[in-house]
Amino acid sequence: MAKKKPAATPAKKTRVKLSPRDEKTMQALVSLADGVVDAATKRRDPYVDIPSRTLSNVKYSPRKGILEMGNGKNRRQLFDLSQAKAYMRTMLVASGCKRLLDEGKTTSLRGLFYMLKHTIEGSKENTFDDQNECDTIIEDAEVLLTSIREELHLYAENRGAMVGAITFTDKGDTIDCSRMGSGGYAIPSIVEPDVIVLDRKRCDAQFILHVEKGTVWQRFNEDRFWEKHNCILTHGSGQPPRGVRRMLHRLHNELKLPLYCVLDNDPWGYYIYSVIKQGSINLAFESQRMAIPEAKYLGLRSIDYDRCDLSEGVKIALTDTDRKRAKQVAKYPWFEKKRPWQAEIQRMLKNDFKLEVESLISKDISYVTETYVPERLEAKDWLD
Amino acid sequence: MPATKSARRSDATKMAAAQKEISVSEFFAKNRHLLGFDNPRKALLTTVKEAVDNSLDACEEAGILPEIWVHIEPTAAGKYKVGIQDNGPGILKKQIPLIFGKLLYGSKFHRLRQSRGQQGIGISAAGMYGVQTTGKPVKIVSKVSKGKPAHYYEIQIDTKRNEPKILNGKGDGEDIPAGEKGLAYIEKHGIEWVPQDHGTRVTIELEAKFVRGRGSVDEYLEQTAIANPHVTLHYLDPESYQYDYTRSAEALPPEPKEIKPHPYGTELGRLAAMMEESEAMSVSEFFRTKFSRVTPAIARKLCESAKVSVRGSVHKVDRPQVEKLFEAIQSTKISPPATDCICPIGEDLILKGLHHVVPGEFYAAATRPPAVYRGNPFVVEVGLAYGGTAPTQNVTRDLLNDLLDETDTRTVRQFLIHTFNGLGGDSADKIVKESGLKTRQAPSGLKPKERDKLLAAMKNVNVSEGQQMNILRYANRVPLQFQQSACAVTQTVIGTNWRGYGLTQSRGSMPKGPVSLMVHIASVWVPFTSESKEAIASYPEIQKEIRLGLQAVGRKLGMYLRRRLKVRQQSDRREVFQRYLKEVASAVSVINAAEEKELYEQLLNVARKRTAEADTKLDDRGRKVEEDPSQLNLGDNVLIVNPAHHEAAINRVVTAPEEAEEDAEA
Repeated sequence: MAKKKPAATPAKKTRVKLSPRDEKTMQALVSLADGVVDAATKRRDPYVDIPSRTLSNVKYSPRKGILEMGNGKNRRQLFDLSQAKAYMRTMLVASGCKRLLDEGKTTSLRGLFYMLKHTIEGSKENTFDDQNECDTIIEDAEVLLTSIREELHLYAENRGAMVGAITFTDKGDTIDCSRMGSGGYAIPSIVEPDVIVLDRKRCDAQFILHVEKGTVWQRFNEDRFWEKHNCILTHGSGQPPRGVRRMLHRLHNELKLPLYCVLDNDPWGYYIYSVIKQGSINLAFESQRMAIPEAKYLGLRSIDYDRCDLSEGVKIALTDTDRKRAKQVAKYPWFEKKRPWQAEIQRMLKNDFKLEVESLISKDISYVTETYVPERLEAKDWLD
Repeated sequence: MPATKSARRSDATKMAAAQKEISVSEFFAKNRHLLGFDNPRKALLTTVKEAVDNSLDACEEAGILPEIWVHIEPTAAGKYKVGIQDNGPGILKKQIPLIFGKLLYGSKFHRLRQSRGQQGIGISAAGMYGVQTTGKPVKIVSKVSKGKPAHYYEIQIDTKRNEPKILNGKGDGEDIPAGEKGLAYIEKHGIEWVPQDHGTRVTIELEAKFVRGRGSVDEYLEQTAIANPHVTLHYLDPESYQYDYTRSAEALPPEPKEIKPHPYGTELGRLAAMMEESEAMSVSEFFRTKFSRVTPAIARKLCESAKVSVRGSVHKVDRPQVEKLFEAIQSTKISPPATDCICPIGEDLILKGLHHVVPGEFYAAATRPPAVYRGNPFVVEVGLAYGGTAPTQNVTRDLLNDLLDETDTRTVRQFLIHTFNGLGGDSADKIVKESGLKTRQAPSGLKPKERDKLLAAMKNVNVSEGQQMNILRYANRVPLQFQQSACAVTQTVIGTNWRGYGLTQSRGSMPKGPVSLMVHIASVWVPFTSESKEAIASYPEIQKEIRLGLQAVGRKLGMYLRRRLKVRQQSDRREVFQRYLKEVASAVSVINAAEEKELYEQLLNVARKRTAEADTKLDDRGRKVEEDPSQLNLGDNVLIVNPAHHEAAINRVVTAPEEAEEDAEA
């Protein structure tokens, strides 16, 4: 077995004292590396078993109402021509995270990509050519080490924003979300309790309204919807990133705020709702920390074209992919047994057009904030 | 306009004065494009082609291994003299004028038998074209056996009457005596003749244009050599380059049998005509004797369903009854025609022929079992040559020096084209440009430094880049060189998916790669799209057979290419592992501070063990799998060679034997 020599690297850089959480991550990293040394000394093939992140390895738990990852694993071997590079990259990502942990710093996904990207000695090949290649390996590392991104000291770009009647602290700074101007508070990628501390007493909001896009969110913020209805207003720039989903999860569970979603009436909108509610296939291992099974779908509904008496011009014809996607969504186990949802999707297919939230502007600029959402909330008219 | 009753310009009587019969020769003299004399370039090719095809047919019918001499020489601007001689059986004196001076005179039209010629138009039309464009008569020398004199004729075709006009010997031709005296005579009259016991030589002077490349005489003769490995060809081109294609097979192809027509392939009009021409016999007998595959029972069935008397005379059958009979034929099940009348080239000889002429590293061939279209049996054969590196890239400095010293070409470009087979003008231009030499530089005068540059350019220029598949089409062993896109062969090649066989191909176009594909269709009656015999008509039955043949060779090519790729991957494999191992070792040592070098060595050992295992992989039967593609067992009809040792790839100037002996002594 390769002898271990006393680690020389941290000699210059002061080694930060590891938090108990980092301690656990570090252990996972070291045992991964030890596995390689062990295999090498025994002249065996080094490999790692990575829990599979595919639809086939995802189970819907009707009891908990969330997606859970199954036990399926993919073996990644070093001495397999098609996997050798992926194996090497996995080790590189692990070594990068170890360095971050050692120095007590965090970096963006792109930052790690640049940390690890270099030309392999004796060739013209790069370790990584593209950030996407690095990002998937990071997700592999998360499930492999059972440490989420935050624990690996990585974060993604901030996406999504919030305003509302709530105050909390972010890395010690007090954030008053009712005084955020027109831009709102940018929801960070890491919203774990060691960064953001929520306080039940400093929250006056009664519910959360999540909208799909920044443009719609602007409309609500400009009309000061959150002030009138005493709520928190968030958006996720389309498919909400993990930071936003985790934030919603914490607000919902720790402050007991119900969540309502206003999304486009198209298969994509349905899927966003599905991800918020049950979790995504790719990140099923995070469902536990992110999914909000009690989330409600407020709109837009496929009956809204008639119900709100919209004009012909707002229709957007469904494409073939839309139709295919809609049928897939309808077959998801968590939609399959819900009659209202089946009716909703069938209606959209029958309409053969989709509606964006912005289409309500054709009625009146503030129709969505002054009429549409208040009426739905009043009538408790939503899909579950 | 005033409406007068005398508006008619002419009347029936007046018009009748201008109405007269048109002779076949007049018709074709005006419409010579129908026979392949559209332009001077094509006229030259058609002339050579018709003469060579006739010679080959004659030799094979007589059972003689063919040897053919082709000589083209320029006489004046735009005029060439073409002489073609064979070692065939010769022609009887009284037949010579008819064969060469009368259109539609021949032995092949009325029989159903696999042969190159079909109608008996070709060679006499070539002669007619020659007379029309130069005024010079066609000269024919023919000798039947050693002791007998050779017959010598100078003939012009009388286009009005479609009759030959003999110019020499007071309209009777002349005899050249055998032996020395004859040779003196030949010398005196300026006729060329390679001394032989028997054979025929035809000389035609015509307006023509000599080119190289696609659709040229060079290409035709080369392709003929591929499909006829039993033929020896000597070709002296107008620039006095001598090409010799020696035979690689010493046996003649078996003699094709003549068959009677099959009822399915007979059209209504033809059936009626056959009945009329027939000697007196019963209807049943007519069907049994004039057609193949008609048994008494089938003849009776035909008559019954057409309500025609079985025993009645064939001449008593009237037109409506003929139609009924025709319908009865279509609805009655008759067994397909005998197929032993077709003589394919055979997989072995296709491989030999291809290997002899086309440079490459992999050859495969497939002969399909006989099939039938419209009552005519036919066989499809496919050969494929996959060329490795271009011949220019396999040349050593010494060999290049020798070649440069030997050559008598005037420019480097010419030297490249003539020395390296299959190297086109475009590729030669690329090489010359890359080498930085002047275009007009003489190859023998190159200085050593310039030779180095030329060699480097030859090695660097990838001549097969973007190369399209080269299709060689044959019908009854005759190459088809024109109307490629109209031909069933080309359409089927394009319609076949080659991507699965390791070639690149964009949708609806020819596959790319250094591939030559030969497709041969042998039949008693090849369905051409026109009289000039340039493209094969797309019968679904024919297309299906072609496709199956293409797939057969394609699969073998695919196996070969995949195996070749695999070997390459195997050698890449170790390298790939080694490359990544260093990264893995250093990453691991960052994490757990393991000794990086030691870990790397250990991993390297595992890698060696692993790849060694892969090298000696066992197949299902427990034998060692051969990873060398040239050892791959793909069946009998495949040939794999080392392209570096290909003799056909480089043309060397043949030095006279005496000189060679002197060299040896020195």
